[in-house]
Formats: sequence, C-alpha cells, structure tokens
Amino acid sequence: MIIQPHPYHLVEPSPWPLGASFALLTTTFSGVMSFHGVANAGLFLTLGVIGTLTTMGLWWRDCIAEGTFQGHHTKPVQRGLSLGIILFIVSEVFFFLSIFWAFFDSALAPTVELGCAWPPAGIEPIYPFELPLLNTILLLSSGASVTWSHHALIAGDRKGSILGLVVTLIFALIFTGIQAYEYYQAGFTISDGAFGTCFFFSTGFHGAHVIIGSIFLTVALFRLMNYHLTNHHHVGYEGAILYWQT
Amino acid sequence: MKIISDVGPNFFGPGAKPGAVPTDVDQATGLERAELLAALEGKELFELKPLKITKYGTKKDPIRVKSVDPVRYVGCSGFPVDSHELLWLVLDKNHEFDRCPECGQVFKMNYIGTDSGHGHGHGH
Repeated sequence: MIIQPHPYHLVEPSPWPLGASFALLTTTFSGVMSFHGVANAGLFLTLGVIGTLTTMGLWWRDCIAEGTFQGHHTKPVQRGLSLGIILFIVSEVFFFLSIFWAFFDSALAPTVELGCAWPPAGIEPIYPFELPLLNTILLLSSGASVTWSHHALIAGDRKGSILGLVVTLIFALIFTGIQAYEYYQAGFTISDGAFGTCFFFSTGFHGAHVIIGSIFLTVALFRLMNYHLTNHHHVGYEGAILYWQT
Repeated sequence: MKIISDVGPNFFGPGAKPGAVPTDVDQATGLERAELLAALEGKELFELKPLKITKYGTKKDPIRVKSVDPVRYVGCSGFPVDSHELLWLVLDKNHEFDRCPECGQVFKMNYIGTDSGHGHGHGH
C-alpha cells in the first residue's frame, strides 16, 4: 500500500453537490410558489423535497463508506468533521436566539395593539405545568439516556449502548407525539397575532430540530448495531448527540 | 509490537467479536489504520510541523525543503523568521535553486517522491 504523505482526505468527484444544488433550488423556488398558490407548485415542491432527501441520504452514505470502510477519516479529518458539526450547531443556536428575541420583544413590553397584556387579550395559552412539563421531563431524561449510551460505547458495553439509545429514541417519539397532540388541541393558530406566531415559530422549529435529531440518532443506532462505531471513533454519533443536546 | 504483527499487508484488522464494541485497532482500515499503527509505535506518520529556519539559506548552503510532488509552495518570511512579509515561492525539482525576491534567501527542493504517479496524493 502506497501511503499518501498527508492525513487529509482529498475527495473523489461526486454528483451530490450538483444534485443537492438542483434539489434545493427546486425546493425553495416551488416552496415560495406554493405559498403564493401557483398551479402545480405543490407537485414541484414534493419533487424538490424528495430530491433533497435522496441526495442527503446518498451523500452521507458515501461519507460512511469513505470513513468506515475505506479508512479516509484520519485524526485530522475527524477533527474537521467535528468542527463542521460544531459550526452548524452554533449557527442554529443563533437562529434560535433570534426566535427568543422575537418572543421577548413582543412579550416583555406588550404594545397597545395586544391590549398591553401578554398573553394578549383574547388568547388562551396552554397551561405549562401539564403536558408541556411532561415533555420537558421527557427531553431532559432523553439527554441523560443518550449520555448513558455514549459512555457505554466508550466503555465497550455494546448492550448498554444500544439500550440507552433505544430508550432515548422512545422518549423522542413520545415527545413528538405529545407535541402533535398539543398542536391539535391548541386554542389558537399561527395567524392569531404575535402570540400565535411566536408560539408556533419557536415550538415548530424546536419540533423540527427534535425530529431531525431523532433521525440523526436513528442512523447512529443503525451504525452501532452494524458494528460501524468503535469505542473511540464515532464522529457521526457524537454529532448526533451534540445536536440532540442543543 | 504485537498488535502490528497481527496485521496483514492488506491493512485490515481482525474485526470486532460478535456482541462486543470494536476498537480502532480491531477495525480501522486504510490510511486511518496506517496512522493508528504508527501512533502505537510512538511515531508520527505524517510530517506536519512547519519548516524550522535556523539559518539564512544561501546558494552554497540552501534551505532544503522535502517534497513528494515535483512542484511545491514555500512561504518565506526572511531570516530571522518574520523579518519580512510572507512571500510565497514555487519550488521546482528541476530548478538548480529558488530565491526569495525580497530577502534573497535560497531554497532547494529535496525531491523524495516517485515519478510514477501523477502526484496528487490519491493514496490508493
């Protein structure tokens, strides 16, 4: 085996950057057209979303092949991948910062249009110490169980690691189910002024974050069960955990 | 080291036992395995540290720069280091020497590559 003189991964030509560009253009373009009620935009939006998801799946499948089966992910490459995940999560943190900003801007000094009150006049908010409290407990517990799974993996305890991750995913599914029920039962909608907008903007994107995190953890579970992950090389799982904890 | 003698020339480890968490020694492969086995022997597989300039390179006694490619870049900041703006020079293995246009420091490529490959480091 001829060894290259540097540890970096020079990637092979791949169709996925181009595929992702076309799929994302179709998704955003037809998404906007769909909001404006243009004919057949929904069909193109569906095609765009299918194309985006397919490209994501095939691209990351290639990454797994390169890392796990071809050994391209040396220590410096792993550092680069981790840095990419961290920067992505930082960008998401600032996105959520702007969501909180919108909420505090409306809630801390309610304008006269809101009846100088928060929740605004006529809005019946969801009581936070019933199902929302249960959901908070579920998410905090899932943070504990995913840490259990991660530490079990590092300690070489395969059963514990798989069990911890399955428990985490069960918590995640119950959380998403309860949130769907809450959305169904809510006495206001996203178009009910600043309160409805802030509520569905924040909980909606948090819900999306939870669903994406659940998929990310499911991929890690699949790779854990198929012996992809070693006790000290599991960047994908660490990324999923970091995403889950934020 | 025992672990290394277990490894055949095809650079595959023994794999994990069923029901156990694999270690990197068990199943790292390719370049990752080469890096790992070198580290287990206490060696660094790749030279990644910057070149130490301990003297002013002259035509008689140039700064020798290792390269596996026939052409490579070198950043010169004079001697002592950082005495002028960083200037990028192209060293060529066919040149007798290469000189920094700012301070006149002389570099000479020490070519350690092979002429067989096309030299873009696709290590397979």
